Amino acid sequence: MLFNSVGFLIFFPVVTIVFFLLYHQYRWMWLLAASCFFYMFFKPEYILILAFTIVIDYYAGLLLERETDLKKRKRYLVLSLVANIGVLAIFKYFNFINDNITGFVSVFNYKNHIPYLNMILPIGLSFHTFQAMSYTIEVYKGNHKAEKHFGIYALYVMFYPQLVAGPIERPQNILYQFHSRKYFNYDNAVTGLRLIAWGLFKKIVIADRLALYVNQVYADVNNANSLSVLLAIIFFSLQIYTDFSGYSDIARGAAKVMGYDLLINFNAPFKSKSISEFWRRWHISLSTWFFDYLYYPLALSFRDFNKAGIALALLITFFLSGLWHGAGWTFILYGVLHGAALVYELYTKKIRKKIFGKLPVAINVFLTRLFVLLYLAFSWVFFRSENLHKVKFVFSKLFELNFSINFVQLFASQGPFKFANILFTLILCYLLSVMSKKMPGRYNVPYIFILIFLIIILGENGATQFIYFQF
Amino acid sequence: MAQHNSSISNFKHFSLKFICPLLLLIIIGGYSFQYFFEKTVILKNSISGAYKVNRIINELHPDEVAMIGSSRMEGGLIPDILGKNYFNYGLNGTKDNVSLFFLNEETKKNKTTPIIINIDIGGLNNSMGYILYYLYNINYQPVRDIVAEQDKPYYHIPFIKYYGYYELYLKDYLTAKIELTKYSNKGASIEKNILLLQKFSEEVKQRENTPAAFNVDPNLGSRLISIVTSHLNRKFIFVVAPCHPSCFSMYKNESDEIKYLNFLKTYKNVRVFNFSKDHYPDSLFFNTEHLNYNGAIKYSKALRDSLSKI
Repeated sequence: MLFNSVGFLIFFPVVTIVFFLLYHQYRWMWLLAASCFFYMFFKPEYILILAFTIVIDYYAGLLLERETDLKKRKRYLVLSLVANIGVLAIFKYFNFINDNITGFVSVFNYKNHIPYLNMILPIGLSFHTFQAMSYTIEVYKGNHKAEKHFGIYALYVMFYPQLVAGPIERPQNILYQFHSRKYFNYDNAVTGLRLIAWGLFKKIVIADRLALYVNQVYADVNNANSLSVLLAIIFFSLQIYTDFSGYSDIARGAAKVMGYDLLINFNAPFKSKSISEFWRRWHISLSTWFFDYLYYPLALSFRDFNKAGIALALLITFFLSGLWHGAGWTFILYGVLHGAALVYELYTKKIRKKIFGKLPVAINVFLTRLFVLLYLAFSWVFFRSENLHKVKFVFSKLFELNFSINFVQLFASQGPFKFANILFTLILCYLLSVMSKKMPGRYNVPYIFILIFLIIILGENGATQFIYFQF
Repeated sequence: MAQHNSSISNFKHFSLKFICPLLLLIIIGGYSFQYFFEKTVILKNSISGAYKVNRIINELHPDEVAMIGSSRMEGGLIPDILGKNYFNYGLNGTKDNVSLFFLNEETKKNKTTPIIINIDIGGLNNSMGYILYYLYNINYQPVRDIVAEQDKPYYHIPFIKYYGYYELYLKDYLTAKIELTKYSNKGASIEKNILLLQKFSEEVKQRENTPAAFNVDPNLGSRLISIVTSHLNRKFIFVVAPCHPSCFSMYKNESDEIKYLNFLKTYKNVRVFNFSKDHYPDSLFFNTEHLNYNGAIKYSKALRDSLSKI
């Protein structure tokens, strides 16, 4: 079920009202049933994949806690990780790996006889498998006790607000919340609804509108010029942010109304002055996952190589982070580009401080932010393009440096009105976000009313999927 | 039990302090905005489909000559060239089921003026065009019949019914007011732009390779004849707009078209003017199926001359 659909407008109040009408001991059942229904809206049979990993990880957690022998504990952990990564490998990476095998063996004039799997990627697979893995890792590390209640554990993996696109929760943040009693609370309800309205505004009014321009340019790069390609690249940066952070806001809001606090996934990422700072502000739940469970152990094991060891750990982490996003070389290169930027920042920290330190603070901040934004925008070309050929095509158009004003190209064949509306809604979005930060609580009602009003008047019709659902 | 009571009293507080004021604000604000928007944007724009649908249903203009049809009518004929009392009800994207709705509404009125109806070279077919033409009058049964399965429950909720379309209405309104890319005249909306030569050549090539045929939906055909024969006091003037020669490259059954037009001519209160094969240079076309502003002037004058001979 999409958050930006009529179905959700009915689903959300029904689930929330019934949740509060039930006694505490039955609420997990209701939330679990609602989450199953929410997930099965996409493709019902894929619930079995979730059920498989839930059962494996639940018992792995119990065994990990019971067992004292380190070797056996490791074995249980590996079993759980293999089950989760195995599911990912089959459903997400099998055809990609097979494709590369075909390409590789064809160099030696061999044929690859491994058949391709003809199936759709289960929605949000990377999110819930990573969340499940964080549970067994935390239990293995002794940071969290194994969950004894099977239903609550299943709810930890399946809790509908964050099931398909995160935030990727940690057991220590959410599991205890499912055990504690929740009371209907005015502040939680209003805060939650504000987040939902704001998230929907970002998705329906901003992201979906930007998507029209971006999709048009990417679909017909041949008829674009450098200016329209540059605009499409910038607009995609804004689209992916408003789309994904919009989803996270709705997820946090839906959980907050029921009294659950989910992790904050975004913290003004475009204010970053470096790529490393960007990853502390962007998709925080994923970046901390990779840093805690992959980067730190790798950096620790490469510690003898000093800086080179850290650089290697960064590159491996970001290579896998790219692969996490999607089974394709474009995503891998997207990750590698970010890894390379972090390595660059690692090696040039002192020099950059010397050079930029001499500049006035305002210029320093402006320039560093601009560099970071441009780097991000260009790296997202890899993210947005279907293949490397497209990436090359987009960049070749951009570097033709044809910035002539041709209105058909500038407006991406959609006319001046649509283009003006994009700019208008972006300004509106900025003003609303500034306004909301300074606004006292008593203005919640008019603020939410304004958001709903703007969604109805300016919203793009036709629910489109969130970008991160594909992962 | 105590926790439940506390939750319920909190919920009452939330309903009174938050939900009720918010709903009230949405109802009052939404309804006021809709009223203002309909009166100042939708109904103040003679080229908007919603205005045309509303005009044909709810307004009586005794001396008006209604011009009905698809985009070939809307963008091809200029009412002021034809005469003083002409109004162009042509709607882009629609086909003859919508023309028949207009014809039906027009013939319900106590009038004796002639009616001009566009017939495409494809014959009589079905297409409702865009939903935004119908939302203002969505509760009127004949309109609901056109919209049929595309009708959605929220189209009947005030304010929300225009969700996703406010922008399009405003765009239409501004197009008519500013006249930057289109010329507007009593319902007609005519392209001022001329396609680039290369783009036009591409379209011509594509058109030359696109099969086309004349086809009359039997239901539409019988409804048309029924209207014509039951309103002998009205003159029905059928026109076929000029088409680019490329439209005829793969036109299968031209003889059927001629036969059908001749069949229409057999009715006493019917006149047919076929301009489809008249020579119009490429510079008078916006694309292979539609004329541009200069083309529309030529076509309108040609029709005016033909009408004067009746």
